[in-house]
Amino acid sequence: MSRIHPRRRWNVFAAVAMAGVIGIALLATTASATRADTITLRVSLFGDFGYHDLYQQYMRSHPNVEIKEEIQDYGTHHTQLAQRLATGAGAADIEAVEVGFIPQFTAIPTRFVDLRQYGATALKGRWLPWKYQQAVARSGQVIGLGTDVGSLAICYRKDLFAKAGLPTNRDQVSKLWPTWDGYIAAGKRFMAKAPKGVRFFDSGSNVYNALVAQISPAYYDAKGKLIAATNPRVKAAWSTVIRGWQQHQDAGLSAFSTNWNTGFKTGKFATVTCPAWMMGYIQGQAPATKGKWDIAAVPGGAGGNWGGSFLAVPTQSKNQAVAADLVKFLTNPASQLYVFKQTGNLPSQPALLKSAAVQDFKNPFFSNAPVGKIFATSALRLGPQILGPHQGDIQNAVSAAFQRVEQKKQTPAKSWEQFLKDVKNVAG
Amino acid sequence: MSAVAQPQPVPAPRRRRKIARRFGSAGPLTYLFLLVVAVVSAFPLYWSFVVASHDNAAIAEYPPVVTPGHHLFDNIRRVFSSGEVNVAFWTALGNSAIVAGVVAVSVVFFSALAGFAFAKLRFRGETVLLVTVIATMLVPVQLGIIPLYIEMIHLGWVNRLPAVIAPNLVTAFGVFLMRQYIVSSVPDDLIDAARVDGCHTARVFWHVVLPAVRPAAAVLGLLTFMMTWNDFFWPLIVLTPGNPTVQVAVSTLASGYVEDYALVLTGTFVSILPLLAVFLVLGRQIIGGIMRGAVKG
Amino acid sequence: MSTGEVTTPAAVGVRRRRLVPAWVRRLDVKVSPYAYIAPFFLIFLAFGLFPLGYTAYVSLTDRNLLNPVSSFVGLENYANLLHDDYFRNAVVNTLGIWVIATVPQLLIALSLAHLLNTKLRGRTIFRMSVLLPQVTSLVAVALIFTQLFSRDYGLINYVLGGLGIHQIDWEAGRLSSWIALSVMVTWRWAGYNALIYLAAMQAIPDELYEAAAIDGARPFRQFIHVTVPMIRPTIIFTVIVSTIGGLQLFTEPYLFQPIKQGALGGSDRQYQTVAMYLYEKAFGSAQFDFGYAAAIAWCLFLLIAVISIVNYLVVRRIRSAEA
Repeated sequence: MSRIHPRRRWNVFAAVAMAGVIGIALLATTASATRADTITLRVSLFGDFGYHDLYQQYMRSHPNVEIKEEIQDYGTHHTQLAQRLATGAGAADIEAVEVGFIPQFTAIPTRFVDLRQYGATALKGRWLPWKYQQAVARSGQVIGLGTDVGSLAICYRKDLFAKAGLPTNRDQVSKLWPTWDGYIAAGKRFMAKAPKGVRFFDSGSNVYNALVAQISPAYYDAKGKLIAATNPRVKAAWSTVIRGWQQHQDAGLSAFSTNWNTGFKTGKFATVTCPAWMMGYIQGQAPATKGKWDIAAVPGGAGGNWGGSFLAVPTQSKNQAVAADLVKFLTNPASQLYVFKQTGNLPSQPALLKSAAVQDFKNPFFSNAPVGKIFATSALRLGPQILGPHQGDIQNAVSAAFQRVEQKKQTPAKSWEQFLKDVKNVAG
Repeated sequence: MSAVAQPQPVPAPRRRRKIARRFGSAGPLTYLFLLVVAVVSAFPLYWSFVVASHDNAAIAEYPPVVTPGHHLFDNIRRVFSSGEVNVAFWTALGNSAIVAGVVAVSVVFFSALAGFAFAKLRFRGETVLLVTVIATMLVPVQLGIIPLYIEMIHLGWVNRLPAVIAPNLVTAFGVFLMRQYIVSSVPDDLIDAARVDGCHTARVFWHVVLPAVRPAAAVLGLLTFMMTWNDFFWPLIVLTPGNPTVQVAVSTLASGYVEDYALVLTGTFVSILPLLAVFLVLGRQIIGGIMRGAVKG
Repeated sequence: MSTGEVTTPAAVGVRRRRLVPAWVRRLDVKVSPYAYIAPFFLIFLAFGLFPLGYTAYVSLTDRNLLNPVSSFVGLENYANLLHDDYFRNAVVNTLGIWVIATVPQLLIALSLAHLLNTKLRGRTIFRMSVLLPQVTSLVAVALIFTQLFSRDYGLINYVLGGLGIHQIDWEAGRLSSWIALSVMVTWRWAGYNALIYLAAMQAIPDELYEAAAIDGARPFRQFIHVTVPMIRPTIIFTVIVSTIGGLQLFTEPYLFQPIKQGALGGSDRQYQTVAMYLYEKAFGSAQFDFGYAAAIAWCLFLLIAVISIVNYLVVRRIRSAEA
């Protein structure tokens, strides 16, 4: 092999390099061959929204439109969106924005198309009022239309409840906790006779977030002022969950970490705050636990929300009218119902939530619980949530605060102090 | 390096063999250590293959699975079927091959060129310029992507391959590596001899330096190829899943609330098959065949 | 490759010498160095300079990523950085992890290269195996190492438990997370550096080893007195490059987080490096504080420059081949 004359070998390298250069030149100049009048819409989502067949439907009725879907993971998608909005190019025609990020983008409404120009106001009545409102900027621009909601319930393990002497029937279980204090009290009861190594709930910050989602105003008041540090209800929420931790009810796992995933499998916790999309998650992570789960109402009576998204059209789009039209199509009642049947993502429109299709929906994995009814009721009950631009950062800070306590690095008091310091650092 | 210009010694063959064996041979302890290193280096790769061959629920098992399952071809099919996962994996593989290949060749050539200049040629300002080259490595890249992206917009290269190729055509890392290597491996005397014989600089480079730096060139080429293949930060912002490199495609697989690790690791497993192929085909040539340098005595 | 190779072009050169005027040769000697380094500087001018200048300028403003309007604030960002506890924390973390990660890693790489340089059977396989960490995808690396160091389900705690040692929550602690990250970094980069050393070792003439062996030097002394001095430039290279890379560490600690959001580096920011803090300020949170992040980038630049210079001065004291 090394007998090749060195000069010839370098000639080979040169040839390869040339080929490479020519190759790029060709690729770079090859534009995709489409019809001159075809409009190509890029739809950028995080995760599978279940829209495949809907795209086909739309393309059939609009033959000059081609839809290309792009999927990134949650964090990357939103970071990229921010980066592309900042640089003024590269954003897709339709961008999905999750509720955790929507406050940041309603703060810069001029980067998105105001969908009122395309008839959003007339459609307003379709949605749950609080859902619609989340995508409305302070000055009234509607920057996105809602897709699904992550309304809350509590998923619990019947078998573990039975072992600890708690009732297993879902109505009785729901009666155990009309309030969050009741939830913690039930937890205390559970821990008294719990199987070894099993805790009552998975993560302090998950329970806390569900609690805070029912408080209004929570971190921001109606005028947009940051009140997280001084709002007594926020502190009370913290104290309630810390009480649970002090009673050893907390498994101390971080949501979506590998430990948390394994926790589902090994039955490390008996309850978990469950938005509608969590059902699919549990089924994927722990298929062997089929039939051991059931679903009860969320404490506090006031519903709850974790997750849910919107579709927005950045002003960078060269096809704003068509993109807006597609957004309206993808979020209309028929589409939302279709998505619900495909993926279980709960519709964000009251008419659908009250419809038989949703109300009668049962999930065999969860002991045939009437999940449609439970989640719909929860969604319909939720009052308006006031979100501010640093909502996500405050949630990160509180999540870290719980972790510090769970990892025994700080006492609850000191961790709360640090949380206040973090909030100040991040949100001013 | 003064010991170089001596003529080739011709020792008695038997004596030579004995000395070589005393230095060069590897004892059992060496083999053991290297075996441990090889296993430790290879295990994560092996394990990602294991995960790729199972369904998604297996990854959360405890104790963890360590033996392959039966789902590998299923998962591979899923990766390539654009129905389920909306990513053009073949395009991604092709793009990455082009990008990594061009960058590797370019970096090796231009780094050797510049490294030779810094190492062996005398010119005004060479120290300052060398320090500048090294200094360019010091600024963290995370923020540079915004202004670089703006540049790409003006060049019209957003979502096009030149955007990921052009900024990497010559790297400070490569120049610095080559310079250090050439300093110690190409003896001044050899260059002087070539000059005396009437070679102009380009000829010296082509006929003296390039052959001498083959080991470093091979290593630099291979490392550059791999690092370009693995680069995800910049391609992720400037390319879209419509025209991806392999890492962009893999990160698309990792989307969704429920992370389908089996799918993701199948994607990464498929994405390194070309790398492994390059290894296997050129491995002997590049690594195993790293020759003793041009300097022999 | 024998010295005979040089005679061929020289023969041609001799023929040409008569045809090439002296001024052309002088021009060649004067101009070619600049021509040879030009490609690097051209690419840098095109794609490196603008980002640098832009970042420097932005660090003097209060630019928010999403808001195109910003105002000039002079050195205010830098002044705030001096008082910023989180920045200080990140610097401490970065230095700590760098020390624990880089020194053992380079020593291991050196030993590995030395062993790979010997007459091995299956030499190619061993040499290729040390590059496998670079081939393994980051997703797999993140998964494996977080699992390895997991408090409840990790292999390391499992072994420790078997030895009677109390379970360590690797990710939660400061020093423990640094150690875990150092293991990850060493695993990924030792082989890489080993190959660079190996290439350099290939250029050492056998005669030097033979001479040393004749003088009675055992293999280890040969290593210290022949190998190391001969590859000193390469050692300097790896020390400087590892310093730069180590102080800019981002990927490994980022992937080590159970929750990636915000790039906080643990519940207490116990392993948040400066690069992660930079990322947090620019992209990771709703702050999008681009001006402040740019100031952090330039402070990191200064830190790396100072430490690189110190490192260079230290490593230079290795006895050179000239001695």
